[in-house]
Amino acid sequence: MNIIAFLSFTILIITILTLVFGVIAYFLYKARENKKAVNQSSYEDMLKELDSDYIFLTDSVQLTSKDDEN
Amino acid sequence: MKKIAIIISLASLFFIAGYSFYDLVHTSIQGKFVQFSIILVITFTLIIIIRYITLIFFSILKNIQKTKDDVEPRICTETVSILVPAYNEDMVIEASIRSLLTQTYPYIEVLVIDDGSKDRTYEYAKRFEHVDGFKSVKVLTKPNGGKSRALNFGIEHCSGELIMVVDADSKLEPNAVELLVQSFNKPDIAAVAGSVSVINRNNTWANLQALEYIEGLNMVRNAQAYLQLVNIIPGPIGMFRKSALDKVGGYDHDTYAEDCDLTLKLIAEGYKIDFEPDAIAYTEAPEDLLDLIKQRYRWTRGILQAIRKHKEYLFNLRKRPSTSFVLWYMLFEAIFWPFMDFWSSVFFIYISATTGLSSLIVYWWAMFTVLDMAGALYCLLVTKEQLKLVFYAILYRLYFIGIINVSKIFATIEEWFNIEMSWGKLERKGRL
Repeated sequence: MNIIAFLSFTILIITILTLVFGVIAYFLYKARENKKAVNQSSYEDMLKELDSDYIFLTDSVQLTSKDDEN
Repeated sequence: MKKIAIIISLASLFFIAGYSFYDLVHTSIQGKFVQFSIILVITFTLIIIIRYITLIFFSILKNIQKTKDDVEPRICTETVSILVPAYNEDMVIEASIRSLLTQTYPYIEVLVIDDGSKDRTYEYAKRFEHVDGFKSVKVLTKPNGGKSRALNFGIEHCSGELIMVVDADSKLEPNAVELLVQSFNKPDIAAVAGSVSVINRNNTWANLQALEYIEGLNMVRNAQAYLQLVNIIPGPIGMFRKSALDKVGGYDHDTYAEDCDLTLKLIAEGYKIDFEPDAIAYTEAPEDLLDLIKQRYRWTRGILQAIRKHKEYLFNLRKRPSTSFVLWYMLFEAIFWPFMDFWSSVFFIYISATTGLSSLIVYWWAMFTVLDMAGALYCLLVTKEQLKLVFYAILYRLYFIGIINVSKIFATIEEWFNIEMSWGKLERKGRL
């Protein structure tokens, strides 16, 4: 195999891997940021999300004031 | 006469290139997609080569001009207010303030603006508060509102004729302020950018960025400075004339690249923006890939937001030629280049898949790598940096720029569709 063909093959493979890896890395970054955003939710954001006046933290179940009403 | 020679040279180059494409397209390879792609790839390649040559040429001219100007240093007595906006920077804030206090320039007022940090930034910064002759440190705090609001808050509370803005994770060379002040030798110079250097060169990603900062950012700024049209005053080191900032209304809050937006506002107002390569700020570069993508994603979207905000100048060539030129250049770097690079890679993969392995990809890659290495060598020699960084140019072209371009393309698409984004603050490692 001549050197140019070998280099062509190597660079081609690296180019393909780079593009695929670039796309994967971008989505990994997005997933990490989304996870962080959820972890950094404020008390007020959680209240809004639960549509409740209180947040009850328990081991297995999350109760809200609406549950109490029921 | 010089202009005519340049025009004739460029015209000849375009004619030869055009004839070569025509010949290539009509004689050897068939198929509309392939023909179109070949024209696109060769045009792109030519533009990049011309860009490289032009930038190096202007950079050399700027260095010659600077050597000539260095003969008579100006006596400066202006007070410089150094603004340090800080949000959760307790890892680095002390080192940053210390580097400001060791500056050789005597008339300095340091203002740390704590932007509602949740850590001990305010407490650590407060320890440095004092007044000592012409030098003083003052620590202000305000509810969290973002970097641009923190900077405007600092501008309102400072007293200097010149305002320097540094990031809380930057560390300055002792003569940085002195050199920047020297550059304000004409009344129409509104701002001067300094050089940014990567301090944490402890892995391949950081070394690749170190090379990129020297070749891709500092050399470009040096070339732009020949025309006094530097398009971005970097966050880690930049100095502004207060009167100019007041005239354009300080920082706006509607983009994620407030430094770029402010520079464009100053250029649109007719001011000149210079660059001082010897005024150096060291900064922490992201050490892992996801942090790097996070940074580049924000830069790309921020720059696109700034371009969109000033888009009326894009086609205002007659009234504001300099602003229009800067905007087109930024558009090229932010959109055209990443898309074309990606397109070229896809094209080479397509050609190899349909017609067998093509040696074109080697020549294309080798040409850009040689260009990168030549550019890198020139920059490293001029800046007296570590020469070993030249070899990173091979990795830079091999995979670094490809991965970064993918994230830039996604950022462009998301900006196009106005998808919500956040500031994306990087976690500091405390390497200063």
